[in-house]
Amino acid sequence: MLTRFVGARVIDPVHATPDAVRDLYVRDGRIVSGPRDGEPVHRTWDAAGAIAMAGAIDLHTHIGGGKVNIARGLLPELGREHPLAATEVCGACTMGPAPSTLATGYRYAAMGYTACFEPAMLPVNARQAHMEMGDTPIVDKGAYAMLGNDDFLLRLLADGADRREIRDYVAWTLHATQAIAIKVVNAGGISAFKFNQRSLDVDEAHVHYGVTPRTILRELARAVHDLGVPHPLHVHSSNLGVPGNVDSTLATIDAAEGLPIHLTHLQFHSYGTEGDRRFSSAAARIAEKVNASPNVSVDVGQIMFGQTVTASGDSMLQYRNARHGRPAKWVVMDIECDAGCGVVPFRYRDRDFVNALQWAIGLELFLLIRDPWRVFLTTDHPNGGPFTSYPHLIKLLMDGSFRKDVLARINPEAAAMTALGSLEREYSLQEIAIMTRAAPARILGLEDHGHLGAGAAANIVIYEPHPDPEVMFATPRWVFKDGELVAERGEVKAVPQGAIHTVKPDFDRGIERRLKTWFEQHHTQSLASFKIDDEEVCECGRAPRLAVHACRARSS
Amino acid sequence: MSLREATCAFCGLLCDDLEVEVAGGVLRVVRGGCARSEAAFAALGEPAAPPPRIAGQAATLDAAVAAAADVLRAARRPLIGGLDVDVNGMRSTLALARRIGAVVDHADGAAKYRNLHVLQEFGGITTTFAEARNRADLVVLVGDGWSRRFPRFLERIVAPGASGAATAARRIVTVTAIDPATRMALPKGAEVLALDAPLVGLPAVCTMLQALVEGRPVQPARLAGVSQEALVRCAEWIRAARYGVVVWSAADLDWPHAELTVQAIARLVRTLNGSTRFAALPLAGTDGDLTANAVQTWQSGVPLPASYANGSVDFDPNRYALRDVLARGEADALVWVSSLSGAVPPPASGVPTIALTRADVRLGMAPSVQIPVATPGIDASGHLLRSDKVITLRLPRLRENGLPSASTVLDALLGQLEQRC
Ligand code: SF4
Ligand SMILES: [Zn+2]
Ligand SMILES: [Zn+2]
Repeated sequence: MLTRFVGARVIDPVHATPDAVRDLYVRDGRIVSGPRDGEPVHRTWDAAGAIAMAGAIDLHTHIGGGKVNIARGLLPELGREHPLAATEVCGACTMGPAPSTLATGYRYAAMGYTACFEPAMLPVNARQAHMEMGDTPIVDKGAYAMLGNDDFLLRLLADGADRREIRDYVAWTLHATQAIAIKVVNAGGISAFKFNQRSLDVDEAHVHYGVTPRTILRELARAVHDLGVPHPLHVHSSNLGVPGNVDSTLATIDAAEGLPIHLTHLQFHSYGTEGDRRFSSAAARIAEKVNASPNVSVDVGQIMFGQTVTASGDSMLQYRNARHGRPAKWVVMDIECDAGCGVVPFRYRDRDFVNALQWAIGLELFLLIRDPWRVFLTTDHPNGGPFTSYPHLIKLLMDGSFRKDVLARINPEAAAMTALGSLEREYSLQEIAIMTRAAPARILGLEDHGHLGAGAAANIVIYEPHPDPEVMFATPRWVFKDGELVAERGEVKAVPQGAIHTVKPDFDRGIERRLKTWFEQHHTQSLASFKIDDEEVCECGRAPRLAVHACRARSS
Repeated sequence: MSLREATCAFCGLLCDDLEVEVAGGVLRVVRGGCARSEAAFAALGEPAAPPPRIAGQAATLDAAVAAAADVLRAARRPLIGGLDVDVNGMRSTLALARRIGAVVDHADGAAKYRNLHVLQEFGGITTTFAEARNRADLVVLVGDGWSRRFPRFLERIVAPGASGAATAARRIVTVTAIDPATRMALPKGAEVLALDAPLVGLPAVCTMLQALVEGRPVQPARLAGVSQEALVRCAEWIRAARYGVVVWSAADLDWPHAELTVQAIARLVRTLNGSTRFAALPLAGTDGDLTANAVQTWQSGVPLPASYANGSVDFDPNRYALRDVLARGEADALVWVSSLSGAVPPPASGVPTIALTRADVRLGMAPSVQIPVATPGIDASGHLLRSDKVITLRLPRLRENGLPSASTVLDALLGQLEQRC
């Protein structure tokens, strides 16, 4: 079965002609270079005048795991306010800032996204995370396992364990939880909060283990690198949301000692303390450092004005920031010698000084970081705002005069403290395609995603050009997932199940002996119960297949 | 005869360290059990696959599913209840609910909502089993459900001389009166303070502790039968704790507006975190209540009880509570799904009833359709959420009896409805 798309302008930054009108061919869910000799074309989609891109990839979106489910339970009113009625192929569910898993799959697909990555899967919560992702239809999924606040690793570091042991533990965690990458959230801080430490700077010692965040970051970045996991250590830095956290963010970059790291929701970590209100933008300093550090990639975590709910593993900082939350109800949890979480609703207002400046800081980062291969489009869904605001965000990046109009309406004190008005850069379609497709695929090691060359998954989005990029990106004409039409002009047409993406680096299974003893002494489940094998993850995750991506171990 | 490692699904603790002897399909707990699990495994008896029944008459599975589909096709306002199921059972239940526009609620909805209500009004600071096991230097026990309803809670979480930081000496407060046997079971070597308040005195005790912890003066000499001296001592212990944990089972708090007591506990915990660490550890998860609610919440975005009528989902504890819907005569068909413990039979309601039950459950009345299904963790593998809501455990299958899972039956039923509509 051969399908052809004719006449589209194909924007495909990975290939030699990144922007040209050409035909695309699809056979059995994959892109092929063209028909075999005499092979008939079964179906032709006329895309003359339209724009084709690969399916978009969100590399940081909280779609699975307990946190968002706590948010849904905490705020049922948000769901009730945003019902999504059943259709021929979709079940009744709700949208809103903490959308149901069903709505998440439907809306992502309708917007042209074909893969989403849950960035904060607690190892002890991995089964539920895979179950929630399994009930998120259409899109492919993967998850990053959180380490760096688990008592086992902190104990290893405190005892001066050698690098091989740490590396084996990291690899074991990736296998046991079926993850594709490793994330660290407020290195050591979530654990320190359990010992009543209320803040933890990069060079401050954990009150019980005596380990500093710098050590945790360095050792995890090293282990991930040595194992050859494609995605660098994914870092939620210390001091989330705290004025003046620019210093700890810069220190975090240094802690990697030149090894690859990815700094997530950088907007929340780019704050200075200048001005009457002791709150200012440090985006320029951060961007300068990122531009000069080729080992660093980032995603922004842009905030969008409106009601949302923040759900983070960072219990220490969520507890600290909870008093700013609206409505005034929140949850903080210590979790199982493993991690923690905090769920705090927020209402970001454009007339509020702090919120307005946060909004401007995010955009400054987007515009000041020059390399679109190293900066990714995220709102840290739902923390900065729901993913459904991406088309609006793209418009803010592509349309300078629109950006200035919005800037003129925000809190004037904040507007006076941002350089945003003087930044003339406008993203091109090519750059948007890089930051939402090609670059996330590359940094996650997804060889067959993010591009439209032969061999790629046939995840194809056909957009109708429109003077307003928000309109263009909100409702593509057609979205194809593995060659199947899944959405048309915002309406879901088919609801297939996506694959689970993982990595399985080699390691020495001898580490399990030590882990078994640790589990018996400290945990409340056995090591055997904790581990999730391939068959089980496909059942939990309702996945037709597990896509295991290659790791190329490096010796150190 | 063989020995199998098992995870026990008979209360929300989901102990995964049981050893079960399997002899001719009969199960006997030989290690890691408690009185409750030993009885529950013994009660399963020999593996049997009784036939489905239509109005009490034996029938094939296909015929029973077809009959069930007929009942549902005739229904305008179906209700799905019980939900004593594992994750996949709940997934299939919800797929059916969306298809037929049903109201959905758990059999034990009322108890669960006491905690949920406080979550939705106030939030909370909570912890999990391993945190409590490793870090708690003070455990405040409210009611007696932690012993009666969760038999191994003391042994697994409170007793072990754990290894974390704060637990050199563990203090225990029993807030409400408990029987002597339960008192005997408290770990040796722990310092124990017994307040012995009556359960109904809890709200007053909480308010009083709140005042003491905030340093406000307390007036009455005795309160709800507790001496002021004991209360003051309790407040001192609470304030001195480095990691305190307060434990209750919402099922114990069975009086009107008991959620106010849960809220008072949550408020006290929040106050204490201003200076030290303190967390709530509510116990639940028995009979699949947390599992059913979690799956409903993630798939639809709102918790139970919910209605899927008219192609949209709505959450409203006042309108969709199972017993109330039946009492108001608002249901014209009932689907009862109960594969785990089978403890709660479908309520006698007079409406046509389709019951998916354990093989050993005998119902008083003959429902329109009864289909025996496999018990997760016994006759089929499955998954359940543990009491602390973060851990989902796999329940391996222990024996073969040829019964279909609840999920399989519900999917078949859904398939029938989709075919002929
Ligand atoms: S305490 Fe609960 S889970 Fe553990 S063995 Fe007893 S009944 Fe089973
Ligand atoms: Zn984060
Ligand atoms: Zn995040």
